[in-house]
Amino acid sequence: MLKTIVTCVLLFVLIALTAYIAFHYAPIERTMGIIQKIFYLHLPAAFTSFVALGVCFFANLMYVFKREAKWDWLGVSAAEVGLAFISVVLVTGPIWAHPVWGIWWTWDARLTLTFVLWLLYVAYLMLRSMLEEPEKRALLSALFGIFAFLDVPLVYFSIRWWRTQHPQPVILGGAGSGLDPRMRIAYLLVWAVFLALMVLLLKARYTLESARADVDELRREAEAV
Amino acid sequence: MKNLDSVLAAYLAGWAIFFAYYISVARRTAALRKEVERLKQSLTRGK
Amino acid sequence: MSLLSNTAVLLGKELRTEFRSRELLTTTAVFILIVMVLFSWTFGPTTEEARRFSPGLLWLAFFFAASLMLQPCFLREQNNDTLSALRLSASDTFAILLGKVAANTIFLLLSELLLLPIFAVLYNVPIQPVLPEMLLVLFLGSLGIAVSGTALAAISSQARMRELMLPILLFPLLVPVLVASTEVTRSLFDPNPLVKWKGIGFLAIFDLVFLTALWLFGEYLLEE
Repeated sequence: MLKTIVTCVLLFVLIALTAYIAFHYAPIERTMGIIQKIFYLHLPAAFTSFVALGVCFFANLMYVFKREAKWDWLGVSAAEVGLAFISVVLVTGPIWAHPVWGIWWTWDARLTLTFVLWLLYVAYLMLRSMLEEPEKRALLSALFGIFAFLDVPLVYFSIRWWRTQHPQPVILGGAGSGLDPRMRIAYLLVWAVFLALMVLLLKARYTLESARADVDELRREAEAV
Repeated sequence: MKNLDSVLAAYLAGWAIFFAYYISVARRTAALRKEVERLKQSLTRGK
Repeated sequence: MSLLSNTAVLLGKELRTEFRSRELLTTTAVFILIVMVLFSWTFGPTTEEARRFSPGLLWLAFFFAASLMLQPCFLREQNNDTLSALRLSASDTFAILLGKVAANTIFLLLSELLLLPIFAVLYNVPIQPVLPEMLLVLFLGSLGIAVSGTALAAISSQARMRELMLPILLFPLLVPVLVASTEVTRSLFDPNPLVKWKGIGFLAIFDLVFLTALWLFGEYLLEE
């Protein structure tokens, strides 16, 4: 209970920190105005989700070759946390787009990829819920996770070559070219905070999974008696 | 300021997702921890 | 080579099993036909619209048909308990999977070829002048569907709600194949050589990536 409260306080501190960086430290963008501030949430969330999904892929590989339960726990934790970050991307994107482009959604390469990524990891979690036996669940979901990860670059290129709207809506205001250095630092700082948040959530979810394994083991012991 | 409510909506929605996720994980962990205690006790009693 | 001969033997078994009753082929073909006709009713009957939408509808029909056709792939083995016998007989689990992939590709292709003339008539598309390229994209696309579909069928057949889980797992994974195949097919009716060859190359790469993944991880898919 105390741990939960402390963690919630920590979450609040992290929120306050990103809000400070985004609103106080970073200058206001010239053309878009204040709505551009959403990107300090949107972009770091996207990058953090890629990190989480990379962790998931790594854990999947480790489980297939080592068969230690802890890799399965890390895999599902990373997939769920990654999904949370992707959801933030998919929610903040349209909220930004509507006032700026007048539309909620467009099948631009990045949005489409994000959506497909979201679907793939929802499928991963659904598969797990349909497999009862712990070892089968760990192995088969790890294999699907590996296939899904290998698919991602293929999804990206197919969409970029054939499904991107022209002209490309410019999101970063010409990223890299004339981007105010304080903005770049702001992005990096918020990303660092998000990575810390990711680790926090990963730890919490991993603990949940190991508690679940404890319960299963104790239940089996109780039945044996 | 124009679009301020969109900015607020985005930030609230984003952080709500993180909070909701963390709280759901924490509650399930607490429930499982109680279950672990209960099972441990019943096992020691059984022995 | 042991792998090829093993695969050939297993492929022969799959084909013989199916051609005894031909139920998989006929039901798949009829299903594609029904979906094709249904799709044609979802938009106005102008030739121009048909030309624009028909490649996508064709491939969607194949996708839906495949997600149903792939279900028995491992269920037959499960019901008859033949998977362990298979694993003992073949020295290489990759041969088992490759045999199934080859069989599924052939079944898909046969169904598609049966429907191709009907597609050409219903949607008024000129297939004959581009027939070789059409066959190429059908082959590469169907191979992609078969490779990923066989692997995911091995996974989903062991889960609950397997009839729904297979499409849920398969369709997001096959997004690249859907996009590329549709674009190449469209470029055959609305000539665009750049799109055509880029797409064909891309499909070949997709097939290669997943065949390799199947080779690397196949034995774990069939673990008991």
